[in-house]
Amino acid sequence: MGLNMPIGKVAILGSGVMGAQIAAHCINCGIPVILFDLPTKDGESKLKDKSAIANKAIENLKKQSPPPLAISTSTDLIQAANYEDDLALLMECDLVIEAIAEHIDWKHDLYKKVTPYLSATAIFATNTSGLSITKLAEGFIGDLKKRFCGIHFFNPPRYMHLVEIIPTKDTDIQIIDHLETFVTSVLGKGVIRATDTPNFIANRIGVFSILSIFSQAKKYQIGIDVVDILTGSKLGRAKSGTYRTCDIVGLDTMASVVAATAAALNDDPFFELFAVPAIVTELIKNGYLGQKTKKGFYQKKGDAVLIFDQDSKEYVPAIGQLSPAIATILQKPMAERMGLLRANVDPQSQFLWSIFRDIFHYVAVHLETVAESAREIDFAMRWGYGWKLGPFEDWQAAGWLKIANWVEEDISQGKALSNVPLPAWVFFSPAAESQKIHTPEGSWSARDFQYIPRSILPVYEKQVFRAPLSGEGLPDPQSAGITIFINDAVRIWVASNRPTVLILSFLTKMNTINPDVLNGIKKSIEIAEELYDGLVIWQPASLKLDAAIGAFSAGANLEVALLCMQNGGPKEVEAFVNLFQHTMMRIKYSRVPVVCAISGIALGGGCELIMQSAKRVAQIESYIGLVETRVGLIPSGGGLKEIAIRVHDEVGTLGTSQYLAVIKPYFDNVVMAKISTSAQDALKMGYLKNDDVIVPNPYEILTQAQVQVLTMRYAGYKAPMPRLISVAGRSVATTIMGQMVNMRDGDFISEHDYWISKKIIDVITGGEVDCGTLISEDWLLKLERLAFIELMGHPKTMERILSFLKTGKPIKN
Amino acid sequence: MKQIQDAYIVAAVRTPVGKAIKGALRNFRPDDLLALAIRNLLLRVPSLDPNFIDDVVIGCSLPEAQQGYNIARIALLLAQLPNTAGGITVNRFCSSGLNAIAMAADRIRVGEADVMIAGGVESMSMVPIMGNTPSMSPSILLRDENIGIAYGMGLTAERVAQQWNISRESQDAFALASHQKALLAQSSGEFSDEIFPVEIDNHIFNSKTNLAEISLEFFVSDEGPRQETSLEALAKLRAIFAANGSVTAGNSSQMSDGAAALLVVSEKALKQFNLTPMARFVSFAVKGVAPEIMGIGPKEAIPAALRLAGLKQHDLGWIELNEAFAAQAIAVIQDLALDPSKVNPLGSAIALGHPLGATGAIRSATAIHAMQRHQLRYGMVTMCIGTGMGAAGIFERC
Repeated sequence: MGLNMPIGKVAILGSGVMGAQIAAHCINCGIPVILFDLPTKDGESKLKDKSAIANKAIENLKKQSPPPLAISTSTDLIQAANYEDDLALLMECDLVIEAIAEHIDWKHDLYKKVTPYLSATAIFATNTSGLSITKLAEGFIGDLKKRFCGIHFFNPPRYMHLVEIIPTKDTDIQIIDHLETFVTSVLGKGVIRATDTPNFIANRIGVFSILSIFSQAKKYQIGIDVVDILTGSKLGRAKSGTYRTCDIVGLDTMASVVAATAAALNDDPFFELFAVPAIVTELIKNGYLGQKTKKGFYQKKGDAVLIFDQDSKEYVPAIGQLSPAIATILQKPMAERMGLLRANVDPQSQFLWSIFRDIFHYVAVHLETVAESAREIDFAMRWGYGWKLGPFEDWQAAGWLKIANWVEEDISQGKALSNVPLPAWVFFSPAAESQKIHTPEGSWSARDFQYIPRSILPVYEKQVFRAPLSGEGLPDPQSAGITIFINDAVRIWVASNRPTVLILSFLTKMNTINPDVLNGIKKSIEIAEELYDGLVIWQPASLKLDAAIGAFSAGANLEVALLCMQNGGPKEVEAFVNLFQHTMMRIKYSRVPVVCAISGIALGGGCELIMQSAKRVAQIESYIGLVETRVGLIPSGGGLKEIAIRVHDEVGTLGTSQYLAVIKPYFDNVVMAKISTSAQDALKMGYLKNDDVIVPNPYEILTQAQVQVLTMRYAGYKAPMPRLISVAGRSVATTIMGQMVNMRDGDFISEHDYWISKKIIDVITGGEVDCGTLISEDWLLKLERLAFIELMGHPKTMERILSFLKTGKPIKN
Repeated sequence: MKQIQDAYIVAAVRTPVGKAIKGALRNFRPDDLLALAIRNLLLRVPSLDPNFIDDVVIGCSLPEAQQGYNIARIALLLAQLPNTAGGITVNRFCSSGLNAIAMAADRIRVGEADVMIAGGVESMSMVPIMGNTPSMSPSILLRDENIGIAYGMGLTAERVAQQWNISRESQDAFALASHQKALLAQSSGEFSDEIFPVEIDNHIFNSKTNLAEISLEFFVSDEGPRQETSLEALAKLRAIFAANGSVTAGNSSQMSDGAAALLVVSEKALKQFNLTPMARFVSFAVKGVAPEIMGIGPKEAIPAALRLAGLKQHDLGWIELNEAFAAQAIAVIQDLALDPSKVNPLGSAIALGHPLGATGAIRSATAIHAMQRHQLRYGMVTMCIGTGMGAAGIFERC
């Protein structure tokens, strides 16, 4: 494989939890993969399948949650293999990732067996979470050491953005560049390059952080539930907090990670902390291993959440609460927050200050040895542990020297977890002088005693906006480029990388669509038609990785629809729907291509919008659906019309007898308000089309969409021609309603649900016409509109909407 | 025209019944399967000259696609019967196979034929239960009275369970008994006279050799009965036809593939070909009920068939009451006070499977052979029928 040749096939050695899931993610990203494991011994497998171990792991992928595969049935794309019969297959693989259990001897044995079969240019990598890569490379012959490195995925690999790539001193830097390019663009991950030190970066800092929380919670007597309140989303970290996260991971797993860490870190000045906390040992002894045994720090009993009480050894109700003073402090900006926490004698406050101090202390002491710069540490914690901000970002925001002095003071007073002093650079260095760790020039490197700039690998040219670190002063996607028009609802702008492509971003909450947004869309199309190659609809929220991935659009603003009904009655509702439909038709028939760059949710009106654009670029984590029935409505921005057109196109080649079979899945998706679990799933559901582009990396969707606009324009883009559509007609509608009769009379759905489903099928089948009748788009839009208005006037729909707006959850009625 | 002679069943054979979709017969075309049944039937009557076969009447409940194109005629030609034999496919859903026998017998009874083949066939693996392109008239939903036409069979069973107050527990117990009876019957060889083994040639692709290959297997006994089922296992299943219902996959009949064929002749033919009759065809009746409670159909059909035969219920020694659903079977048994020991002694559709249009012929074969073995005089085959009917036919052992 030449270094410019894309990686075409991957082999994974070891079909354990990580190995199988990495294989699954390769499939998600369109990369063929072979999953190896041990051969079954004679008589072990009933089916005489020697690859039964790998096959079972592949089968299990279907059952895991969250799903490792974008489409669960794509398990058949993963090829199962065993080390006895199939090693010759390795020759075809450009990248071979070893992911077996963490025993250096086992790994070495396997390497002996497989390395003779590797292609002469293959990259060989180990997904160890902490073993020394250099030691693992011992004994390699020829130039294999140059092609060997660590590649550390985080669990679950489909969803966790971080991948640590760990070269040894022998690894060819071009190999690492090539691998980083592949992992970033093809697998869609965020790569940091780590140093070959124990546990690398994320787990080194992450495990320390957890143990420090255990330790300080004990010192300040903070209850399990309160610790989780304090260390969860309130700090911009994983919602599950600390203890619940341990329950999810499994306490036995956690204990073995801690033990392994301890074994590797005997010269760490914080070594004493690296021991399995007593409470964990006690829980494990009782067989309470967390979620998998239903008991751990927590136990769920019906709706009640119980916590383990160390004194009584019983599970007691969780009643802990955030102290009001702390709640106030946590809303303050960082610069004020740390001082307030440190000064307040409330144990919760002291606990919080202590865990911040400990982590600052630890990252400062270890920056030089574990990472090239502070950037790797901050991204490791953000992408690998779900922190909103990395420790250096927090520290910098709180005031560098002020915090440094406080930490030093605590160390000298014996309050810290180790008496090792802060390294000199913290007080005496360009970083200390400017009090900045991340700057436009780069991020601070203790090793090199200078700021190190960002990687300039060409793959990052695909990212209009790169993941920013606070202090770097990177362009803000909310204001970057040249703004052509802006109001409360939308920003119309161009990015400097491709100035002939107009971009539209919504400014509403969850990017919902209200009349101002609709007018903004129209305006953007007018401008684009006049002056640009085309329009991309892209939301800055797509760059959010810290919590649930940002929304493309949560759909039409329900409050607006409700207000129309209450203030102006059906007439005003009709005006709103008219505006919506007209805008969508404007998108569809725009003279220049409108391309949607999607990630996260695209629901209801958001889904209708993407369905009517010229093309879609969707990140794998795209959750798309027509969900109007939840609030007692039907899609009426052209969504059902588009379904009728898709049905027409599909049936065209199959013959009219196939209307029912073609319509049924579309109908079910709408009636059940089903949301896709991935972009690939959305394609299956018909919300994406075959020639749409699925992109693994959320940072690349904007560029990909811009490129699509340019490509379409250069290929002589023309708006689709209005055409008549042949529809399924009333017999098919009746046949489907016959099934709904069974749902209703079997008490699966309410009378109102039945009635809504009737409205939906009537639109999709073209109204009360005969099979094969040719109708216009306008007629379908009229059917949508009339049904919507009628439903808005229905008290049961009104009940659903009001409940949804009040509680976020629709009622069933 | 009045009956001028009796009709006799001389031979009755059937395939083992396969589980639909996943079972042994999933790739066995129904036309080929029926041809095989006809061949095996004729093997039982070597003294019959096939040139005297007047007509072949075959029940099939979804006569389309693989079982379309008048499968009766196709199959008899595939079975190498003389071109002179006619073929007709008849459909009354679940009674199709029984209706085929009644129609064949009637041709003889009116004196217009002497040698008839009757039978049934269904591949639920290949033709889905509503057909490949179901289509309903908009008129159905225009009148509330017609809504029952749209009801799935499962929902009609729920309606019967509600109206007749049949509990979930009694349905599950009934289902378990069906499996237990069927398993016992299998192990004591009760079906060995009626079943002929089917050689299956699976045309597969072998990815290891990269070749298309044929793998052969023999299919010899019904796949449906489950050794491992229990009341606990049945109780765990969810009601699938109604949110708070009681009808589950476990207490409903199984979807299946299968075929059966019977030779029906006149007294004249018995003598002409030196044949030994197994049973005389006595009577047949069909009655309609409301579509939404179709399962209760046999309650009306059974007394009607008995009346036509001039018999009383207690004259019957063997009753094959097709178990479309435990709920409807129990309701019929209770309302008519049928003797449970005479009903489905070898199990029925819940355990043995229900290849819709074939079932009537398959269970007739079962009843006729059982009456021989157990020396019983009168036997009955009865079933409920979709859209609200019941059918019943009576045989007398010779």
